[in-house]
Amino acid sequence: MAQPLVKKDDDRDDEEYSPFLGIEKGAVLQEARVFNDPQLDARRCSQVITKLLYLLNQGETFTKVEATEVFFSVTKLFQSRDIGLRRMVYLMIKELSPSADEVIIVTSSLMKDMNSKTDMYRANAIRVLCRITDGTLLTQIERYLKQAIVDKNPVVASAALVSGIHLLQTNPEIVKRWSNEVQEAVQSRAALVQFHALALLHQIRQNDRLAVSKLVTSLTRGTVRSPLAQCLLIRYTSQVIRESAGSTQAGDRPFYDYLEGCLRHKAEMVIFEAARAITELHGVTNRELTPAITVLQLFLSSSKPVLRFAAVRTLNKVAMTHPMAVTNCNIDMESLISDQNRSIATLAITTLLKTGNESSVDRLMKQITNFMSDIADEFKIVVVEAIRSLCLKFPLKYRALMNFLSNILREEGGFEYKKAIVDSIVILIRDIPEAKESGLLHLCEFIEDCEFTYLSTQILHFLGIEGPRTSDPSKYIRYIYNRVHLENATVRASAVSTLAKFGAMVDSLKPRVFILLRRCLFDSDDEVRDRATLYLSTLGGDGCVVETDQDVKDFLFGSLDVPLVNLETSLKNYEASEEPFDINSVPKEIKSQPLAEKKAQSKKPTGLGAPPSGPASTVDAYEKMLSSIPEFSNFGKLFKSSAPVELTEAETEYAVNVVKHIFDRHVVFQYNCTNTIPEQLLENVIVAVDASDAEEFTEVGSKPLRSLPYDTPGQTFLAFEKPEGVPAVGKFSNTLRFIVKEVDPTTGEAEEDGVEDEYQLEDLEVVAADYILKDQVLNFRNAWETMGPDCEHVDEYGLGQRESLNEAVSAVISLLGMQPCEGTEVIASNSRSHTCLLAGVYIGNVKVLVRLSFGIDSSKEVAMKLVVRSEDVTVSDAIHEIVASG
Amino acid sequence: MILAVLFANSEGNILVERFNGVPAEERLHWRSFLVKLGADNLKGVKNEELLVACHKSVYIVYTVLGDVSIYIVGKDEYDELALSEVIFVITSAVKDVCGKPPTERLFLDKYGRICLCLDEIVWKGYLENTEKERIKRMIRLRPPTEF
Repeated sequence: MAQPLVKKDDDRDDEEYSPFLGIEKGAVLQEARVFNDPQLDARRCSQVITKLLYLLNQGETFTKVEATEVFFSVTKLFQSRDIGLRRMVYLMIKELSPSADEVIIVTSSLMKDMNSKTDMYRANAIRVLCRITDGTLLTQIERYLKQAIVDKNPVVASAALVSGIHLLQTNPEIVKRWSNEVQEAVQSRAALVQFHALALLHQIRQNDRLAVSKLVTSLTRGTVRSPLAQCLLIRYTSQVIRESAGSTQAGDRPFYDYLEGCLRHKAEMVIFEAARAITELHGVTNRELTPAITVLQLFLSSSKPVLRFAAVRTLNKVAMTHPMAVTNCNIDMESLISDQNRSIATLAITTLLKTGNESSVDRLMKQITNFMSDIADEFKIVVVEAIRSLCLKFPLKYRALMNFLSNILREEGGFEYKKAIVDSIVILIRDIPEAKESGLLHLCEFIEDCEFTYLSTQILHFLGIEGPRTSDPSKYIRYIYNRVHLENATVRASAVSTLAKFGAMVDSLKPRVFILLRRCLFDSDDEVRDRATLYLSTLGGDGCVVETDQDVKDFLFGSLDVPLVNLETSLKNYEASEEPFDINSVPKEIKSQPLAEKKAQSKKPTGLGAPPSGPASTVDAYEKMLSSIPEFSNFGKLFKSSAPVELTEAETEYAVNVVKHIFDRHVVFQYNCTNTIPEQLLENVIVAVDASDAEEFTEVGSKPLRSLPYDTPGQTFLAFEKPEGVPAVGKFSNTLRFIVKEVDPTTGEAEEDGVEDEYQLEDLEVVAADYILKDQVLNFRNAWETMGPDCEHVDEYGLGQRESLNEAVSAVISLLGMQPCEGTEVIASNSRSHTCLLAGVYIGNVKVLVRLSFGIDSSKEVAMKLVVRSEDVTVSDAIHEIVASG
Repeated sequence: MILAVLFANSEGNILVERFNGVPAEERLHWRSFLVKLGADNLKGVKNEELLVACHKSVYIVYTVLGDVSIYIVGKDEYDELALSEVIFVITSAVKDVCGKPPTERLFLDKYGRICLCLDEIVWKGYLENTEKERIKRMIRLRPPTEF
C-alpha cells in the first residue's frame, strides 16, 4: 500500500499526509452509507467512491456480501443530478461488475440514460451496459447499439464499437449482425471511430478470407484518417499477402506498392508498421527490403527510445534471414551499444554479432567488453549465446571469442549466466578441435574459484572425458587434485572420479594418480573415501571388481545400463541382510517413456547437459534403452532414430506414435502408446504389422507391452531384419492389438477378465532418408574441396512442373533427409535458379556432400543438376538412385 | 491487448494497478517485475522520457512523471509503438488533471479524476480515447468540442 512521502522540499506542507493515509476497507464501507442518504451530498459521495476505487486499485477485494451492498447503494446515486458524480457512478458499477441477478437493479436506469438526449450519458450507459450485460439483455438493447454505431457523435459511436469488440467474445452471433453499421462506421470522418470500426469489422470477418481481402483492397485504395487505423490496415494487408502467397503468379507482389507507399506516411507509427510488414514478407527479395531497411536505419538514430528499440528489434529479426541486407546499418547500430536503454543496447549488440563479418569480430569484441560490465545478467546471457553462434560461424576467430568468454567467466555473475558461459565454452570445445586445449584450461581456471557446486562437478566430469585425450593430460591433474583439498564433499567426490579417469586412460600418469587417490582414502567424507577405494581397486587390477583394462574403461566411462528410476526403487526395496545387493536384479524395462516429448525440446545444443560426443543426445538415450532389451542387444550400433511419426489423429482413444531405429542389418519400430481412457486398462499390447509391401524386411522379434494404464505412456517394439548396409524401403500397415479391462473409476481397480480388441493405426513407411543422418558442416566449400572429386557422381534430372522453385527445393531436401548448409534452403522469391548445399552421413558412416543446382523456366518446369561427393563411390551412386526413384 | 497499466510511487509502492486478461495468480509476478524494472532503470530519467523493454512476447513501455512512475504492458497489436501512444495519452491526461508533473500527494489528491481518465483511455485492454482535450471534457460528461 502507498506510504506517505515526507520530502524535504518546498512543498513540505503539501506532502505531509496522504489523503488515503490509514485507509481501511471496513471504515470506507461504513462511509458508503452516505449513498443511502435522502439528501445526497454529491461531493462527499464522490470522495467515498474515490476511496473505494483506491482500495480496488490496490488489489483489495470485496466479499460477495460487501460488493452487493456497495452496488445497491451506488445505484441509489442515479437520483442525483450532479454530472461529476454520475460519471463516477458509471465507473464504480463497472469496477464492481455485479452478478447477473443484481444487474437488473440498474438496467432500467441505464436504459434510460442510453436513450437520453445527453450524448455523454448515452456513451457511458452503453459502455456500462455492455460490460455487465448478458445475452438476453443484449438482444433487448441491440437496436440501440446498432443506432449508436452510426451515431453522429464520435464518442457514442466509439463506445458502441469498442463494446462490440468485447461482446464479440461472448455473443458473436449477435455482434455479427451489426456488420452493415460497422461497415458504415469504417467510412466515418472521425479518426478514432474509423480505427475502432476497422478493428471490429476485421474481427467479425476474420474467418472469411475473401471478405478480408475485399476489405483490404477497398481500404488501401481509399483514405484512412487515423494512423492507428492505418497500422491495423497494414497488418491486415500482410495477412492477405501471406495467405495468397501460394496462389499468386511470379512477378510483382500484390499490395507491395501500398506498403512501400506507407513508408512515406507522416506518422512514424505507420512508417514503422509498413517497414516491419515488408521485412516479414515471405521470401522477401533484397530489392523489396531496401526501402524498409532505409527507414529503419533512420529510426536507429531517432531521439525517441521507443523508435530506436522498435527499429533495432526489427533489424535483429531481419539479420537472422538476410544478414547482408542489414550490414549498411552497422555503424548506426554500433553507436547504440552505448544507449542508455539497455534493452536497445543488447539488441544492437546481438544484431551486430549476426551481421558482422570475420574482420569486424575483434573490434566488436572490444566494444562489447566495455558494455558487459553494466548490464543485467539476463542481457548478458543473450550476448553470450550470440557470441557462441558467432564463433561457430567463424571458427578461425575462436581465440578472440574464447578469450572473451573466459574473461567474463572470471567476473561477477549469477548461476544462469555462468552456466551459459560454461555451456558455450563446452560447445566450442566440441565443435572446434583447435579450441579444445585452451578451452579446457579456461574451465580449469574457473573451477579454481567457482562458487557453484553444480558447475564444478559438471566441469570435472567433462574434464575427465576430454582431458586424457589431449596432448599433455598431466597439466590438468593439478587443477583437479586441488579440488580434493579445497572443496565441499560433492565436488571432492567428482574430482576423485575424474582423477581415476585420467589414471585409466593415460598409462604414464597411472602411478601418480594412484598416489593421489590413496591420499583421498583419509577424506572426512565417506562417499569420497568409497570412491577412492573403489577406483584404486579397479585401476589396480586386483581382479575383484573388473578384470581387463577394457573392463576398467567400460566401468569408468560406460553408463549404468539400468534405468536410474528402477535402480532407485530396487535400492529402496532392498533390505539389509547377509545377501549383497545385486545390480543384475534391477529390471531393465522402462516403465514410462517421455522420449517423444524430449526429442522435440532437445534440438538446441545443450552444452554440459548433453553427453560429450555424438550429434544428438536422444540417439544416445535411445541406444541405451534398446541395448537394455535383450532381444535387440546384439543389433550393433544404432545408426539413426527418426523423429516420432504420429500413427493416430489427435485426441483419439489411444495415442500412438512410432520411432524408427535404423541399425546396419535391422530396423526396430518403437511404438509409443498412451491410453487416454480412464476407465480402461490395456494389457498385452502389441502392434501387428503387415509387411507385404516391404519385401526386403523380415520380422525377427517383438516385445509386447505388458500393461498400459490410463495416461502412463508405454512402449512396444517390433524388429525387422533387412539386407546389410542396404537402404531398403517399404510400407507397413499397423494394427494395435490388446486385451482391454474395465477399471472402476472410484477404486481404480481393474476387473479380472478382459476382452481382446484391436485398433487400426495409420500406415508407416521406411524411406531412403531414414538411412541418411543430417550432418553439420561449418564451411561447405572447404569440406567439398577436401572431399575431392574422386568419388563424384554428376547427373541431371527433370523434376517436371512445380508450383515454385521453393517447393522443388524443399521436396528434394526432404527426400534426401540431409542437412542444408549455409542457409541455402532459403530461396529468394521470384528467383529462377538456386543452388542448395547439403551434408549428411550415409548408413555405414560414410560422409556425403551434395550440391544441387535448380533452374525453373517460364512454364514452371524445374530442372536439377545433382553433384554428389562422398568417401565411397557406391554411396554417391546410391544418392543418385534415391533421387532417380523419388 | 493492453495487459496492464500500473502507477507506482518513487519507492515502488503501487498507486494504481489495472490488469486486463492477466490471471490473478500472475499479477503479483508482474507487479514485482515492473517495479524492479523501474528501480533498475528509471533513476535519473527525465520526465516523460520513455523506456522500453520486451519480456517474452510482451512489450513494456514505462516512464516517470514527477514522483510517479508509469508502466504499460501490452502484447500482440499493442507493441512498443502502440504502447508509447497509450502512455503519451496517459501522461498528458495526468499532467492535465494535476496541472503539472505530480508529486505523489498531488497525484493522490486527484485520484478520482485520474481513475476517470484511465477509464476513458483504456477500456478492458483496448485503447479508446487518445486526445487529452476530449478526455478532459468527457470525464465531466461534456461532449467533445469538435462535435
